[in-house]
Amino acid sequence: MAKKVLNVEDDVDTRTFVSTVLEKNGYTPILAKDGEEGMRKVGEERPDLIILDILMPKQSGIKMYHELKTDPSLKDIPVIMLSAVSKRTFLRSQEALTEFGDETVPEPQAYLEKPVEPEDLAEILRKILG
Amino acid sequence: MKEMAKLLIIDDEESIRKVLTVSLASDGYDVSAAAGGEEGIALFKKESPSIVLTDIKMPGMDGIEALKQIKKLNPDAEVIMITGHGDMDSAIEALKLDASDFLNKPIKDEALSVALKRAEERIAIKKKLKEYTDDLENMVRMATEEVKRRSDFQNKLITSSNDAIVATDEKGDIVIYNRGAERIFGYPRVEIIRKMNIDKLYPQAIVLEFRSGLERRGDADLSEWREFAIVAKDGEIVPTRFSGSILYGEDEVIGSVGFFQDLREVKRLQEELIKSERLAATGQTVAGLAHYIKNILNGLKGGTYVLNVALDNNDTGKIKGGWAMIERNVGRISDLVLNLLAYSKEREPEPENCFPNEIVEEVCALIELKARESSIEIQRDLDPLLGKVYMDPNAIHRALLNLVSNAIDACIFDSAPKKQWWVKVATAIKENHIVRFEVADNGMGMDKETREKIFSSPFSTKGERGTGLGLLVTEKIVKENGGTIDVASEQGNGSTFTIYLPFQEAQKS
Repeated sequence: MAKKVLNVEDDVDTRTFVSTVLEKNGYTPILAKDGEEGMRKVGEERPDLIILDILMPKQSGIKMYHELKTDPSLKDIPVIMLSAVSKRTFLRSQEALTEFGDETVPEPQAYLEKPVEPEDLAEILRKILG
Repeated sequence: MKEMAKLLIIDDEESIRKVLTVSLASDGYDVSAAAGGEEGIALFKKESPSIVLTDIKMPGMDGIEALKQIKKLNPDAEVIMITGHGDMDSAIEALKLDASDFLNKPIKDEALSVALKRAEERIAIKKKLKEYTDDLENMVRMATEEVKRRSDFQNKLITSSNDAIVATDEKGDIVIYNRGAERIFGYPRVEIIRKMNIDKLYPQAIVLEFRSGLERRGDADLSEWREFAIVAKDGEIVPTRFSGSILYGEDEVIGSVGFFQDLREVKRLQEELIKSERLAATGQTVAGLAHYIKNILNGLKGGTYVLNVALDNNDTGKIKGGWAMIERNVGRISDLVLNLLAYSKEREPEPENCFPNEIVEEVCALIELKARESSIEIQRDLDPLLGKVYMDPNAIHRALLNLVSNAIDACIFDSAPKKQWWVKVATAIKENHIVRFEVADNGMGMDKETREKIFSSPFSTKGERGTGLGLLVTEKIVKENGGTIDVASEQGNGSTFTIYLPFQEAQKS
């Protein structure tokens, strides 16, 4: 069965682009347009991988990432960050969040900066999901 | 040691000459002797003695004649006349000719000594007087030069001052009017100095205060710098900063002075500063646009990719989807560029006959799709009395488009759950040829801090989705077209932006 990949992304064009890449490479795309909807879909669909944007209304990718990685039932789902925010900035944000808890949050599986080449995305998907 | 005063003896009698010479030489004088008038004059020229003793009655040139000659050569020489019996008339004449003293023959030692002493005293006094006079003349000359120098300096000060300096006498007639004043008031000096009174030159408000001061009627306080507009000779309004003073002598008013600073340059620089601040903000905008443009690029790339995949697979649905992505992002670029241009250029309004209500419809049509995607209702409330007017349609379009775009984003970014979002655009024709445009929404609203920031520089709460430019452009357009913009907002309860723009009656084509 085709692996399910959830894309949480507020920009409609990026969503269309990512779902096309996913379909072309044999994965089933699931889409959400913000962190709130994203967490809901995670519970409903149980995706095999999450492609996560950072700057979104209602609930940002920073918060969602932290939620995923501190939830024992969800922390093992591989996450790829896809954002216009730089990797360094994102990692600093995670450090800031973990200051207030005990859990150390692992780095995401991969970090891609927008704009991303379809081949690069496809390669990482293959590496993680096979 | 006593200075050797030079002495000349003129007497035709050799014995007298000998006796006097010996006696006076032993007293320490430098003595020369002559036997007659001519010889005496020649010796006088040669030796320049300060004291002369001369006999009156002599053959050839007599003593009187000698006296005259000597006085011609040196009016200060002390000439003592040696008189004999019967010389009274001559003696008196000699006095008139400025002889100093008399010695009667036979000459007694004591008399001689007294006469010489007196002569020397007179010489000393004359010398001192001359010194004082020379000194005095020198001092007066130096003082005069100093006065002149200071006067020159002050004149140069007044002339070279860029500011206007206008001084009057106690009647208010103008006595000083420098180049700076010519530049500000426009009148040449020849028309002003001693020809015009401040009643005619100064603006009325200042005149009244000066009059009160000159006539000592009250406490005229002109000293604080105030801004005042001067109407120049040619009618030009010159902004100036003014300060003045009443001038007092010992106890009376002697005149007044006014200083005017030309603010034209300052005002011009202030406008330049606003312009360059705006340009600088554009630079800030460019930096802040990085994320925004990245997203657009991503959209274009993505659209091209999707389109290519769809063409490979003959997937019509995906072809449409890919193409829509490209179209949408081209639209976003176009919008961004237009906003940047509108922001950084000074634009003269270009009014034409147009229908503002139609422009509102155009704007609504443009954002229709985006609104529908996010379940936002677009409402219109258009004044039926607002028909054809003479206004700048592009200005209205851009200003409203930015506001409506922001209103839609305010709804999208509103985190309140399950709201029925709406954006309302309203027009109304008001009195005094004003149109009112309103763009209202019930989205996330703004707190006081945000409200204060939005008009001052590019500021966005939309993260990489916003540039902060739209509102600044709208405000600039509104100002350029002679209008005003206002906002009312409450956090969580939406915002209402109101624009008032003047219009003219539709022109006959």
